Amino acid sequence: MTISLAVPDILVARAKSGDLEALEALYRAFETPVYNLALRMLRSPEDAEDVLQETFLEVVRSIKQYRAEGHLWGWIRQIAASKALMRIRRNQVRATEELHEEAAGGPGGSAIPARIDLERAFERLSETSRAVVWLHDVEGYTHEEIAEQMGKTVSFSKSQLARAHARLRGMLDGEGAAP
Amino acid sequence: MMHCTMDDLLALRAGEASAWARSHAEACVTCRAELDALYQRVAQLKALPARRPARDRWPVVRDAVMVGRRRRRERWGVWSVAAAATVAGLLVFRPFGTRQANAADLASIKRESATLEQQLRAVDPDARVMSGRTAALAAALEDRIAVIDGELARVGAPDAARRADELVQLWQQRVDLMQDLVGVHVTRASYVGL
Repeated sequence: MTISLAVPDILVARAKSGDLEALEALYRAFETPVYNLALRMLRSPEDAEDVLQETFLEVVRSIKQYRAEGHLWGWIRQIAASKALMRIRRNQVRATEELHEEAAGGPGGSAIPARIDLERAFERLSETSRAVVWLHDVEGYTHEEIAEQMGKTVSFSKSQLARAHARLRGMLDGEGAAP
Repeated sequence: MMHCTMDDLLALRAGEASAWARSHAEACVTCRAELDALYQRVAQLKALPARRPARDRWPVVRDAVMVGRRRRRERWGVWSVAAAATVAGLLVFRPFGTRQANAADLASIKRESATLEQQLRAVDPDARVMSGRTAALAAALEDRIAVIDGELARVGAPDAARRADELVQLWQQRVDLMQDLVGVHVTRASYVGL
């Protein structure tokens, strides 16, 4: 997934002054990366769209405090990741996710086929594991940053990553697959 | 023969592996293959195709922005009217000796309210990120203040001088709510280390 995330400074300045056209231009520039980040972490397109909406409501409200220290995408991504993690926490309150994953082998309770592709295997991970893998391996977050965002320890982040990769490897190799 | 665990492989990738894991991975074909597979998995994850949302959420965001701006304009409009009405009310009270006490009370409460407005501006709540709970609390307080401002605009009219007590009471309620509102923002700012 390669998307250009550079936006002109003048556009940011106009957005900070409350210019609606500039704010919409920022939305259009970051709509896809925000949606993909949320979709990979949450799996549900509806949830990902909600996170996209919540993220930009926050961006519009808070853009005045963006100090242009670092890339704008880094700032927006921080908001999006935070919103997605909040949704994961809410989902975890509603369901015992780990039990669901381990007992049923993923969403819908279907058995794991003999070999599946990486995207499907990734979707079968728990929300927390997906969030850690995506933030660490794709977005480049450190374990310290993930731990801080999730309100967990660095060890938790590291163990989630190791566990997720072990599961991915197992699913891609067909280990534990249905006959 | 003992092989590298996933923790070892991830540590190798991060350049943080133990001496044993490093030397073992150099010598062990199986573990090197596992490490390559790890790199490939991550590369494939990064290369997953970008998806686009099915619905355009910008209209919802834009509408929320417009509603927020309208509310702010209305609020400041009401506050301006209330301030003007208060000045008019003070002019009415001043000549009457029996109402000197009320006028003094009113002036005192007004000063307090102005101080709180300054404190609120210093916190600059519009420029800060708020949690949903804080935002809801602040919005509820602002709504109540707006209602009182509407009352002040009505009661503070020049022909309503007989309602001096009511005016003082309303201003006191306004000050109480402003204290709560400033408290909400200051507490939040302290909490997040601002």
